[in-house]
Amino acid sequence: MTPIANPVLAPSPWQSFRFRCANGLKRTSGFFLTNPPALIGGGIMIIVVLACLLAPMLTDYDPNRRVARPHVAPNAEHVFGTTRQGRDVFAQVLYGGRTSLTVAFVAGTVATVLSIMIGITAGYFGGRIDQWLNFVMNVVLVFPQLPLLIVLAAFLGQVGPPVIALLIGITSWPWGARVIRSQTMAIRQKEFVLAAECMGESKLRILLIEILPNLTAIAAGSFVGVMMYALINAAGLEFLGLGDPTAVTWGTMLYWAQSAAALYTGGWWEMIVPAVTIAVVGGAMALVNIAIDQVSNPKLKAGAHLRRWRKLNKAIQAKRQKR
Amino acid sequence: MRYITSRLLFYFVAFLIAISFNFLLPRMMPGDPVDALFAGAAGRLDPSQIDAVRAMYGFSEGTLFEQYLQYVKSVFTLDLGPSILMYPTEVTTVLGFTFPWTLFLVGVGVLSAIGLGLVFGTIVAYRRGTWFASLFPPVVAFVSSMPAVVTALLVFYFFGLKLEWFPLSYSADPSMDPAWNWPYIKSVAYHAVLPLTVIIMAGLAQWVMTMRNAMVNVLGEDIITMAEAKGLSSSRIMLRYASRNAVLPVVTSVAMGLGFAVAGQIFIEIVFNYPGLGNTLLKAINARDYPLVQAILLIIVVFVLIGNFIADLTYLWLDPRLRKG
Repeated sequence: MTPIANPVLAPSPWQSFRFRCANGLKRTSGFFLTNPPALIGGGIMIIVVLACLLAPMLTDYDPNRRVARPHVAPNAEHVFGTTRQGRDVFAQVLYGGRTSLTVAFVAGTVATVLSIMIGITAGYFGGRIDQWLNFVMNVVLVFPQLPLLIVLAAFLGQVGPPVIALLIGITSWPWGARVIRSQTMAIRQKEFVLAAECMGESKLRILLIEILPNLTAIAAGSFVGVMMYALINAAGLEFLGLGDPTAVTWGTMLYWAQSAAALYTGGWWEMIVPAVTIAVVGGAMALVNIAIDQVSNPKLKAGAHLRRWRKLNKAIQAKRQKR
Repeated sequence: MRYITSRLLFYFVAFLIAISFNFLLPRMMPGDPVDALFAGAAGRLDPSQIDAVRAMYGFSEGTLFEQYLQYVKSVFTLDLGPSILMYPTEVTTVLGFTFPWTLFLVGVGVLSAIGLGLVFGTIVAYRRGTWFASLFPPVVAFVSSMPAVVTALLVFYFFGLKLEWFPLSYSADPSMDPAWNWPYIKSVAYHAVLPLTVIIMAGLAQWVMTMRNAMVNVLGEDIITMAEAKGLSSSRIMLRYASRNAVLPVVTSVAMGLGFAVAGQIFIEIVFNYPGLGNTLLKAINARDYPLVQAILLIIVVFVLIGNFIADLTYLWLDPRLRKG
């Protein structure tokens, strides 16, 4: 016999999970469609990711193989020209994007998971746990991260993309954790958390089911932020020659262009193409982050409403003048 | 006073952690720590000198803790030994040559970025709804999200190499002798224009955004309504009532901003071949001069910590509530 759904009873976990997913999807798509920065940023991201995934369909060249003479200027056959080693720059951008974006994604995921775990724990439990975690957070925050990464990478010697992703992920959780901590402290005073505590819910359930969903916008913001940061810093480390020079990424492209003195010898495309690519993708992530900021702080959005009000006001004034 | 002591204590502990990191790093590497640290020294230092340097770094007989104490002692007495890259120059002497240039660029760059950020952030928040306020933040965020390497390379290429408006390398005309006279200062300023532009471009968004967000929050407060009700002029409200309160969060975010500026600085110096710490860091890494690498890391950490402390003092000056506690 199938159980009859009782409207009075709370929905089953599965039902509420499905509802949350559908609701979240609707809100996410709405967020992207009504917000110009998010639309532009998200659009660029989708195009770049698709292009990197479909690399074999967009180019016939192997990014690691000599396919033409060195420093051929951009033409129909080699859209972005070739490098000093005679490799196709367009193919390198596409295949390198796979690695660079994966590094950014992994670093973002690691950092966000860590910052949620640490931030929520510190914010919810308070007391001594909070004091210690907060101290660790402040110490990590006060250290200049990139010099630290550079020294680590210099000692490890030619770190590959996976190690770079992990290093960045492990060192960049405190920003997210700090925001999540303060937000958790605000939420834990709310009635629904108190109610859950009175009902004797387990701590884990309170943290994951009651509090965590309220942190989605902040967590998403920190995820995009770390991704942007990881993309930039991974490229920086590799530009310095600290990465694995045989891996094709946007950063190693810069490294090879720099060591081939591409700008001085007239092969500007070898340097400018990966540089602009990193700039555009980083910028797209920044735009998405601005939009997420507006969701977590609705006061920032007031601008659009004010503009509408000014327009209306102007129209009214104009009508009055006519009379 | 209690506030200052607690902050000082915090920075001291942070500094100790940085020293410990430096101490443990070569010891965590596979193989003999001395080999890791002096890998580039082979052939340049003779064995007796290596032994002397080894003792300075605490690689002597004794427990790990005794070694640690010896290392801490050599750091606090500024006895960092010779650089391998520029043997037999002392590491501290190398830092003495290079650090002032970095201090100059970061100091001027960060201060002007903060200044500009405060001005634009205030305007953007106060004039919400105008085209400038809706266009400026995304544009500046886009520019600042470009990695310092990329911004530096693009600026270098267009304004240095193509348009030839500004010099491509060095901190001053190499044919001149450093002196406190007008032509030399002019040359330094001329060489600093492009690197400074990059620092400001890279940092501006952070200050604009922080200031704008803080201003937007303050503008909702009753004091603003009250000031408006009193019929105060718009600029007076903006400057005396709103910005002063909104500046506080900006000061707190100096920590992050300084870290970013120092990081960007490394790339800027490398691209523009500026004789500062970042440039030396790369040379030291390539020459496997680990003592110099570690010393540069330490001085960067100290610099950032001091910058933070200055920010704390500014906070104290801006927020009278803290002075009592």
